[in-house]
Amino acid sequence: MIDAFELTKDYGTVVAVRDVTFHVGRGEVVGFLGLNGAGKTTTLRMLAGSLGPTSGRVVIAGHDLEREPLRARGCLGYLPEAAPLYPEMRVREYLEFRARVKSIRGSKVRAAAREAAERARVVDVMETLIGHLSKGYRQRVGLAEALLGRPPLLILDEPTAGLDPNQIHEVRELIRDLGADHTLLLSTHILPEVEATCDRALVIHRGRLVAQGTLEELRSQRTGSGAELHVRGDAQRARALLGELPFVRSVNLGAPREAAAPSAPTTELVELEVRFDAPPTEPETTAAATSGADVDGQIEDCVRALVNAGFGVRRAGPRRAALDEVFRSLTLPAAPDGERDATGGSAS
Amino acid sequence: MRGLLAVYRREMLSLWVTPLAWLLLATFLLLQGGVFYSIVVHFVQMPDLSLDAGPLPAYFGQNSVLLSITLLLLCPALSMRTFAEERRSGTIESLLTAPIGASALVLGKYFAVLSTYTLIWAPTVLYAVILRTTGTVDWAVLGTSYLGLFLVGASYLALGILMSAVTRSQLIALMLAIFVQFGIFVLGIGEYVFDPGPLQQLCAHVSLSTQLDEMSKGIVDLRRVVFDLSLVGWGLFVTTRVVESWRWG
Repeated sequence: MIDAFELTKDYGTVVAVRDVTFHVGRGEVVGFLGLNGAGKTTTLRMLAGSLGPTSGRVVIAGHDLEREPLRARGCLGYLPEAAPLYPEMRVREYLEFRARVKSIRGSKVRAAAREAAERARVVDVMETLIGHLSKGYRQRVGLAEALLGRPPLLILDEPTAGLDPNQIHEVRELIRDLGADHTLLLSTHILPEVEATCDRALVIHRGRLVAQGTLEELRSQRTGSGAELHVRGDAQRARALLGELPFVRSVNLGAPREAAAPSAPTTELVELEVRFDAPPTEPETTAAATSGADVDGQIEDCVRALVNAGFGVRRAGPRRAALDEVFRSLTLPAAPDGERDATGGSAS
Repeated sequence: MRGLLAVYRREMLSLWVTPLAWLLLATFLLLQGGVFYSIVVHFVQMPDLSLDAGPLPAYFGQNSVLLSITLLLLCPALSMRTFAEERRSGTIESLLTAPIGASALVLGKYFAVLSTYTLIWAPTVLYAVILRTTGTVDWAVLGTSYLGLFLVGASYLALGILMSAVTRSQLIALMLAIFVQFGIFVLGIGEYVFDPGPLQQLCAHVSLSTQLDEMSKGIVDLRRVVFDLSLVGWGLFVTTRVVESWRWG
């Protein structure tokens, strides 16, 4: 649906976007992640056609944006950042105007405006002046505009920016509904948003695409695999035991799951976070692991070691890295896993 | 020209639901009423008139300094918001991503301000109707007078839209348009300032006040029409290029 080839935007003093290449398939819901100023809006504007790339090429639904600009733009609905609208128009007037601009003709204009308003849930304010609407409504009017004429592709630039929690919830619900019959590309710097709505994510940092893939791929790709174990017994001893396994990189002690009786510290239930070495790229080198090189096999080995040593294992499973951890490791390669909260939101 | 009509309708709506057009209309009619009244009173006191003198030619031509001042106020105020406002508020973004070309956008906006300009002048036809109750009105000459006003206004508005496209600020767009319009006016005055020669002739050719004067007498010089239309064409062409250039900014 979208093919971007080596998109570059050079403003002379600063290169906002450099060699960004990606593909978005039909029906996908893709999150476009990046910090403020990473080049998200610039890239989206290049895809939507309001900004020309310095070099590179965009193909929207098979139409080259430069050679067939009107056709390509006709295939997409775009919600610009902050959804700028005309305050002096009524919602209905505005939607009908936009429908006409999108070459919807005559009698169909009214119906198209109505349908888009229904889908974006702004029917109740059709006769209100846009200048009198709340920010949440304005955002949804912008969304209704993008939906006019049911374009196959929707590009939404920070659709939830500046909304209150209830409005954010509503817009996310809406996005999830839209994902059913549109291809969606939405930008955000809020990670839970991606986790809540997207199948796949593109991560842009300082104008470069630093990662792309499904959320699972991103998680494992950056943080390596690992396991989460709830173990009953002496935490330090368990830690040392697991540390001896050849594929274990580190073992972190989590919070005690259950307060232990002071008399018997060995019955304490603790949470252990085990990180494995990155999955082996050359399969023949990992002779050490008995049950194969995959994560499940490694977890099995851990559990066996613990049980043989007399520990109780309450729970064992693969570790799911929080996406913001992944994001931070992508965008702050030099910083330690510290307190820098660059994501603007915490994972929920 | 996909989308031209949609842009035109929106622009008309915006002009007439906001106070701008009504304010201009009211101020304009008040001023013109005063001017026309004093011209008529002036002519009532004159015992005999030459063939081409009379209140209407005076109103549309011989006092064209007054007319130039009117246009200096009217045209820049009409054109100032067309693009500057869209760029300041960011709404231009969704127009640029819409499946319409830059020329449809520019022409839609231009025709809207031109229609508004025409509508603002329309009530002044009543002056001729009033005069007809006491004398005769040469409707053909009245027609050429209005043609002159239309063409001069069309040129000024085209230049005004260009000025609105080069800045995000309505105020700066207004000032630029006034400067350009005033510049053309001053160039026209050169006809009376310079000694006869090529320079004086050039000034006479580009003088839009002289054009109004001529047309108020029923003279339609094709060269002047061509000059006006070239100004319109040039202004709109450059505006279209400016609008396209935003994609590369």
